[in-house]
Amino acid sequence: MDDYLIGVLSNIGVISFIALSAYVLLLTGEISFGQQAFFAIGAYASGIATALWHWPLGAGLAWGGAVAAAAAALLGVPTLRLHGLYFAVATLAFAEMVRLLFELFHYQVLINGELVGPNGAEGFRNIRYIFDNNIGSTEFLVLVYVLLSATLLGFSLLERSRLGVIFRMTGEDDVLAELSGVAVARYKVLAAGIAGALAGIGGGLYAHLTTYVEPRIFDVMLGVHSLAYGLIGGLGTALGPLVGVLIDIGVLESTRWFAGYRMVVFGGLVAVLLIVRPRGLFDEAAVRNISRAWRRISSPKRRLSQTQRKAP
Amino acid sequence: MTDFVQNTLDGLMIGSSYGLLALGFTLIFGVMRRLNLSYGASIMVGAYLGTLVYVQFGAGPIAVAALAVAGAVLAGIYVERLCFAPMGPGAGIASMVSSFAIWMQLEQAAILVLPRHTYPYPPLAAGEPLTLGPFMVRLDHLIMLVAALALGTAIHLLLYRTRFGLALRAIVGNPVAAHLVGVNVRAAMLGAFALASAIGGVAGYLVLAADQQITPMFGMWATIKGLIAMMIGGLGSIPGALLGGLLLGIIEMNGQWYFGSQVRELAAYFLLFACLVLRPGGLLGDAPARVTAAYGPRA
Repeated sequence: MDDYLIGVLSNIGVISFIALSAYVLLLTGEISFGQQAFFAIGAYASGIATALWHWPLGAGLAWGGAVAAAAAALLGVPTLRLHGLYFAVATLAFAEMVRLLFELFHYQVLINGELVGPNGAEGFRNIRYIFDNNIGSTEFLVLVYVLLSATLLGFSLLERSRLGVIFRMTGEDDVLAELSGVAVARYKVLAAGIAGALAGIGGGLYAHLTTYVEPRIFDVMLGVHSLAYGLIGGLGTALGPLVGVLIDIGVLESTRWFAGYRMVVFGGLVAVLLIVRPRGLFDEAAVRNISRAWRRISSPKRRLSQTQRKAP
Repeated sequence: MTDFVQNTLDGLMIGSSYGLLALGFTLIFGVMRRLNLSYGASIMVGAYLGTLVYVQFGAGPIAVAALAVAGAVLAGIYVERLCFAPMGPGAGIASMVSSFAIWMQLEQAAILVLPRHTYPYPPLAAGEPLTLGPFMVRLDHLIMLVAALALGTAIHLLLYRTRFGLALRAIVGNPVAAHLVGVNVRAAMLGAFALASAIGGVAGYLVLAADQQITPMFGMWATIKGLIAMMIGGLGSIPGALLGGLLLGIIEMNGQWYFGSQVRELAAYFLLFACLVLRPGGLLGDAPARVTAAYGPRA
């Protein structure tokens, strides 16, 4: 594979994490404009861990995810009773505060005669773990996709579990869920924590992929994009947000078919798509139909026996 | 103390532009119950149209102002037709995402037409600032404040003294009931959208004429400032929008003076966050209603 393709694929994989992060909250019925905050926290935390504390990459990524999850769960508590636009704008305000605080954040250590570490608005350079340890770009790509596959596996288990049902129940109608005996508040904080962890791991991967982060990257644009991915792809399965990322980064940005006009085309396409399919490409109904059709194809015998049974 | 008063005075002036932006925002939100993320982008389209004519033909301030408002209204109608009118009830979220996509589209279109990062914008009223004892006020800032108060009053009168305003208030109360008593809901919504865009266009023009330059980032700036001021003041409240804007301006200017420009933004977001957590309805808004811009009940 050539370097350009590897770069694009890595990018798609990494951005998928923050798209999935927004997706978890969408499942519980909340719109967040602020997942970029946890992406940023994960990026800085894991970068600091590997570059300044000389932790191994795995520990650094786990640390980034953990710090981001803790921050997200903490934010979840005061914002619990907010819904809809109020929640969305509160997360936006929080994320912008985080971005601005990173502009004031200085933590530099002299390593091999060079100052390394976050330096306010200048950013955080030289997160060189993958160079220092001779990890090739293909190997890093494999790492990204192994983690992404594990995450998707986790989502498919979630969909089959009680927790998944509770999340979707809360998203559908949280009052009804509460009345059915679900401790909605606890599960919302849990969902926020999971979403934070995913964004944090994605941020850690991003920091090591680009070796350089600055606060400016983690602005509202990133947050609204990651939210839009899930809503364009559809909320039926965890593949929805990935479809969104694939359409945006994979097809439009990378092929350069519409150089210069990318957003003019993409923006119009999305608007038209949402008129036709307001709940995204692969919404719940579409996913149900596809899986029903798949079962019909994969086990025609059962269908036959069912019709036979009905016939008399 | 002199500094504080001067900062507060500056904050009032800057804040009046935030108030104007929030006024348009709150009008759209009040009537539609949906978030228009493309609000700032529509304003930017109008402003860019003004710049284009100014740079190409050296048009005067009146022509530039008229184009800024007209362009914002046209872009606003485009957004309404594409992102809001075709969406059924319960698709508030689709409207929001779609308006975000159109924001991206309009921004890129503006960059394609005028590719440089910054362009000059004609000043409205240059010259010496007015002095009042030890305090100074820029003339164009004063015009901004007067415009905000005048437009706020005009919108209030429109809503409470005209048939159009009555129709809009009926829709805010209950769109179905409004339809049943003979209100043309779709036309009234389009009218509210156009009106809000016009207010935004005026706000955008006044801000840019004071800054004397424009960048494509202006759309995002206008959306964010309008959104913050609207949320602080209370969703759907006209006096709330103005009050929220003024308060935001005062906090920003004092924060900048005492702690630097990064803290200016930080203070603004902190104010917003604290307001939402402690008093989600905003200062003058109603109790936090369930907002359908959220992931509303599935139709």
